Amino acid sequence: MSRFVIMITMALGLALSAAGSAQAADDAKQVFDFYCAQCHGEKGDGKGINVTKSFSTDPRNFTVTADMEKRSDDDIRTVIKDGGPAISKSPLMPPWGATLSDAEVDGLLAHIRKLCKCTAK
Amino acid sequence: MKLLAVTVSLGAALLVTMTAPSYAGGGDAIFKKNCASCHYTDGPAKEKTIADQLAKKGPELFYAGSKFQKGWLAAWLQDPKPIRPMKYNSLTEKNAGDHPKSSAGDAAALTDYLMGLTSAKVAAGKIKAKSTPQARNIFAKKMPCSGCHQTESKGDVSGGLSGPSLVGAGKRLNPDWVYAYLTDVKSFKPVRDMPDFSKAMSPKDMEGLAAYIATFE
Repeated sequence: MSRFVIMITMALGLALSAAGSAQAADDAKQVFDFYCAQCHGEKGDGKGINVTKSFSTDPRNFTVTADMEKRSDDDIRTVIKDGGPAISKSPLMPPWGATLSDAEVDGLLAHIRKLCKCTAK
Repeated sequence: MKLLAVTVSLGAALLVTMTAPSYAGGGDAIFKKNCASCHYTDGPAKEKTIADQLAKKGPELFYAGSKFQKGWLAAWLQDPKPIRPMKYNSLTEKNAGDHPKSSAGDAAALTDYLMGLTSAKVAAGKIKAKSTPQARNIFAKKMPCSGCHQTESKGDVSGGLSGPSLVGAGKRLNPDWVYAYLTDVKSFKPVRDMPDFSKAMSPKDMEGLAAYIATFE
């Protein structure tokens, strides 16, 4: 009986945790679409609506695995919070540190890693 | 008994007249009828989440009297040309330019009503239009303003499309509001797709930037 209860509890715990991470992924996608997609595009391919002929740089294409695996998680967090110049990139990437919470920045990092299907090498 | 009823009714009517704010030409009534389904005017800001912001059909107007210039507002309400290149809250649909037009009389009444909606967060008479090399450098190079906002130079319009255009901002926006917005954006729009620059720029830089934007034609 007690073994049965433990198994049910574990199964419930796993189900709840899966639901929690699915919710976190949905939240991160909403944050990405709202703040980042205007330049990086909803697909993360760097083709947002702000990229007109006068946009003086190419916003990062997050789907290029070879580029993105060269970026550390710390670099990605830093550029989101402090803007492009913080990692010697374009000032067209704004500093979002006063806008986003640390949890939202972590969510964006996870979302970007999902787009590039990669981790830092 | 009848006299008492009449007296009470008259008293009640008088009380309503005295307590309800009065706006010239009934602009508040016109607003409620024609505008309130897309814009709210009872501040402070209500949005707490991205979903709250995305549910809005148009910008909040509870500080319209501090944000806009009266002459521009009266003219725009009669001939509302798009300010945002994209539809409000959309990154995929262009602004169809289908904001309802008001008659000259309604526009005047609405303008009187909206110009009465001011914010105590906006200090009047602080910022005067001025273009300095420092502010031009901040706008065009140091900060990402042009990434999201259009401007015009010698007939050429350039800049990003997600934010409201700044073409003609010198006639549209009150520079004191632009400064207040830059320094304390959360009081006006707690959830918006423009970054909070309060830690990235000094108040002096923001003052210069607001003064520079006030020169935009």
